[in-house]
Amino acid sequence: MKIPRLLQVVLIFVGIYVAFKVVFGFVLGQPIPSSLLTMYMFFVVAGLFMVFTFTDESTRELVAPIKALVEDPARKPVRNVVFIVVPLLAGAYAFNVMLPDFDAPLELRSIHPAPPSTVKIYDQRYDLSTLENPLRKFQKDDPQKFRLLVAEGAEVYIRNCHYCHGDKLDGNGPYAQGLNPIPLNFQDIGTIAQLQESFLFWRIATGGPGLPDEGAPWLSAMPVWENFLSEDEIWKVILFLYDYTGHRPRTWEQE
Amino acid sequence: MSNKRSGAWSGGFVLLVALLLAGAFALVYLDSGVAVAAEVSAAADTGVTYAPAPKLTADDYPRVDRFNGRVAVWLAAQMHLWFAAFVLAVPIFVFIIEAIGMRTRDKRYDDMAYEFIKVSITAYSITAIFGGLLVFFLTIFYPHLFQYLTTIFKESMVYYALLFFAESAALYIYYYGWHWLQGGFRKWVHLTVGLLLNAVGTTLMFLANAWATFMMSPAGVDRAGVFSGDTWAAIHNVLWNPLNIHRVLANIAFGGSIVGAYAAFKFLSSTVAKEKAHYDWMGYNANFIAICALLPLPFAGYYLTAEIYAYSQQMGITSMGGIFAWLFIIQAVLIGTLFLSANYYLWCGMGRSDGAERYNKYVKYLAIGIIGAFLVWFTPHTLVLTNEELKALGGPYHKYLGPLGIMPAKNMAVNMMIIFTTISFLIYRRANKIPIVSWVSQGNAVLYALFATGILNILFLGIYHGYFTNTVYKVASSIPQVLTTLTIIVASTVIDASMYKGAKQVAPLHWGRIPDRAQYALFLLAVAFTWLMGLMGYIRSGLRQHWHVKDIFRDASPDAFTPTLGYAANVVSIGTILFLTLLIFIFWLSQLAGQKTSSGDYWKAQEPW
Amino acid sequence: MVNLAKVVAFSLLTIGFFAFFANFGIPEIKPAPPPVDEELDLSSMTMEGFVALGDRIFNGKGTCTLCHNPVGGRAPLLDDAAARIRERLRDPRYGGQAQTLEAYLRESMLEPSVFVVAGFGKAGTSDTESPMPVVSGGGIGMSEADISAVIAYLQDRWGLDITVEIPADVAEAQVAETSMAATPVRPLKSPQAAFTQFACTACHIFEEAGGQVGPNLSRIGAQRDREYLRRAILDPNADISDGFVPNLMPGTYAEQMYASELEMIVDYLAGLE
Repeated sequence: MKIPRLLQVVLIFVGIYVAFKVVFGFVLGQPIPSSLLTMYMFFVVAGLFMVFTFTDESTRELVAPIKALVEDPARKPVRNVVFIVVPLLAGAYAFNVMLPDFDAPLELRSIHPAPPSTVKIYDQRYDLSTLENPLRKFQKDDPQKFRLLVAEGAEVYIRNCHYCHGDKLDGNGPYAQGLNPIPLNFQDIGTIAQLQESFLFWRIATGGPGLPDEGAPWLSAMPVWENFLSEDEIWKVILFLYDYTGHRPRTWEQE
Repeated sequence: MSNKRSGAWSGGFVLLVALLLAGAFALVYLDSGVAVAAEVSAAADTGVTYAPAPKLTADDYPRVDRFNGRVAVWLAAQMHLWFAAFVLAVPIFVFIIEAIGMRTRDKRYDDMAYEFIKVSITAYSITAIFGGLLVFFLTIFYPHLFQYLTTIFKESMVYYALLFFAESAALYIYYYGWHWLQGGFRKWVHLTVGLLLNAVGTTLMFLANAWATFMMSPAGVDRAGVFSGDTWAAIHNVLWNPLNIHRVLANIAFGGSIVGAYAAFKFLSSTVAKEKAHYDWMGYNANFIAICALLPLPFAGYYLTAEIYAYSQQMGITSMGGIFAWLFIIQAVLIGTLFLSANYYLWCGMGRSDGAERYNKYVKYLAIGIIGAFLVWFTPHTLVLTNEELKALGGPYHKYLGPLGIMPAKNMAVNMMIIFTTISFLIYRRANKIPIVSWVSQGNAVLYALFATGILNILFLGIYHGYFTNTVYKVASSIPQVLTTLTIIVASTVIDASMYKGAKQVAPLHWGRIPDRAQYALFLLAVAFTWLMGLMGYIRSGLRQHWHVKDIFRDASPDAFTPTLGYAANVVSIGTILFLTLLIFIFWLSQLAGQKTSSGDYWKAQEPW
Repeated sequence: MVNLAKVVAFSLLTIGFFAFFANFGIPEIKPAPPPVDEELDLSSMTMEGFVALGDRIFNGKGTCTLCHNPVGGRAPLLDDAAARIRERLRDPRYGGQAQTLEAYLRESMLEPSVFVVAGFGKAGTSDTESPMPVVSGGGIGMSEADISAVIAYLQDRWGLDITVEIPADVAEAQVAETSMAATPVRPLKSPQAAFTQFACTACHIFEEAGGQVGPNLSRIGAQRDREYLRRAILDPNADISDGFVPNLMPGTYAEQMYASELEMIVDYLAGLE
């Protein structure tokens, strides 16, 4: 039996919706945000509309049941029910959406806030666009010394950072679950691999309080490490972060 | 009779030669003007000195009651830009269509070209009105800025103003002389006028672009804003050429979409089958032009953005990662709308012939490809999360959607959208035809292989270089991706065109047999394009933040703040409504000349002369 | 007409959707307002503050480091220019009016072309003309006070005596007081600053000075190890030396001190032998 077109549309729509929910929520274990899903479904509807109405024949089939519902005198009882139920559903939806709730308002946190052009750290002004890791040069010039620096960076990391960012640098340290936002996962391709070392230097040295105003509120518990670590230690720990995760810092130079 | 005609002809010819000379003179003089400016700059080191950019306070900005100066300038500039883009774009493709008509000797092309130029001629004066309004508003609300810019660009502004004589003359001769300059040599003369019109128009735009880009990436001045005297350096600033390219392409796409909307409206309102066929055909061509210009547009945009990054990392990050990051989500929605409606129009157009039904079943796969690519393109890097979702995800970062938010994924998505649109075109073109060449199966195999390897190549480049190598390759991989896409477009078009050379039609093609829904797709294209242009105008200007001239001339007015996206969107929406309203008025005017009302017995009967 | 109405309605709906999405579909981010130029309050300025102001101007508003940096090579480095400037004042090529280093600096900022360091002139002028803008010009707009502050900053950076004066009469009277009131930059960088901050000398003797409420710490490093000293600061009642009463020393240092300050003090005390 051929499924009516309108039903096809509805079934596909529901199928895609459920698929998004199931795949992200259960298979991958990372639910899809509702704000994104709303927009996704909006464009899925647009796509369905396009596919199902690009020929006249298909369009007629699609709207035929709706037309019949509105025009066919034989369907008066169904029509009356639909005309009462649909507005009621819409009303219920609007009521639920407008209902005050006790949730904190939605928050937006930019993962890569735009850095200021210069930043004052250790009573010194750094130009973030030109700042480079002074220890990076040893990677080529003196690999032995570089290994040593990375090892020192590792020590700094274990002493200070691993409580939150985890001993595997995966953002899953012993205290991580207590924090919101949770600490960044450096293993992920979307974090430090996208950034220049100067950006990390800025983020480590000035911590949560040093984040720019735009995209507030910032609730990051990241300490202001310039108060606890020396400049050298920060650069070393940056070496370690990249070395351990196997990522390469973002640069604009050809190798 | 023949004498009289040739008399008129020679008079006209003299006029034309004079015009050509004037145009050429203007162009040459402009060049020498630049040369003169360069000489002046050499002299400037010893002679003329320029003042640095003034340091203003809020009191230096005149106020007019009940008038927001910034919004007034904003809207005037935007309206001017919309109309100018339309007025500049239409002659470009009118020129092309006229040439096609001359080559194919198909009069329909000539008629269509004439109808296009008729539409743009009224828009020309409105462009001028808004240009004047913009200058007035600038001098009223931002006198110091205007004065500063005029000291630097005084030469080019003079030539800009004078060039309008050439532009007007060329446009009016091109339009009013259309029916006069027909046949043989005259047609060539007419085409030459069209070329001249485009040359002057493009020069005009390039000059004005220089002023806009100077404010973003100032050159020819020192840190204090002291002008070196070298006008060419100020014109030839870093972002000038990227913006020139971007604007030429965008203008063509925009002009095409507006003319498409015009054709769509005419199609909807006409009841005669012949008229319907004509406007359907016109709409199809306009849409074709718009899409041709739309396909390379993302690449021009990348080039512009790359140059912005190269000029100032700070400005680049502000645009892509800072406050404007969400603007690109809105942009994604709009560009998605453009691609979707353009494709939908093509699919609907397949109904013009019965032969196309064979291909109907493939449309859903195209749709899946395009929508899929679009969803990736639309996914923001920073997700808006409710608190529960935040808890469920364990943080603001989504493991699987996060990687879709960054550039490699976007590059793949936009290339896919372009490739699928190309396939839509391909299917549309062959829908009603059966090739007669002997190598059909081989040709098709090559096409399949071309698309398959191309798509795989783009995905490989995107996934491997995008996520598993360092940034240099990450950025660099977008270039081979683009080249792959362009290769696919060009190669598939060439192969397909030669394969279907002399192909026989399956069923007759019925122009005019297209649902009204498709016409609304054309409207959607036009509206989305207009709105998008307004939005991008906001970011281009907004990137300067609180500077009149970036890092040189501070905006000290109370309106120096960068407006929020919502506020900007509202201004853009108002502008779009204004623009479209005026456009309807223009379209109405253009058909008014053909309307005649019987005056009844209003006029007294007169004795004949 | 019906068509026109339909088209207009369709267009308005489309525009409405875009506007709605831009307003409500994405999070509203308010861009930061334009930065406000700093107001100078010279009346409450110490020389230290004045040097710090010079630092801010040098690295910020003055835009000096745009060119005076090791990257671009567009202007001479100022890292250690004092000796060179003295030489230059004796150089026969120098045609300016300045006799002192201060005057030279001022002149080079206000009339950059008076003396151009070889190789740094504008192209084609064979070092007769400087590409440097006049710092009091519109784009930079440094005032007399700003220029003096930059000179003070440079002199301080070069380890010279600061010869400029803070250009306001009221300033001097309040120097002493305001310098105390100014909050120091934390974490503190020297043990002496830490002793002032935490008022250690009120009770303890260091280097022959201080109160006698607590033990004399002049030679404490010889008597106690670091572990003990650290504990004594963080938890004063843990060990009480003979002859002293418990509960006198505040137990709040653990909260007040940065770890680096604590370690610095412990290091210092351990070194007193």
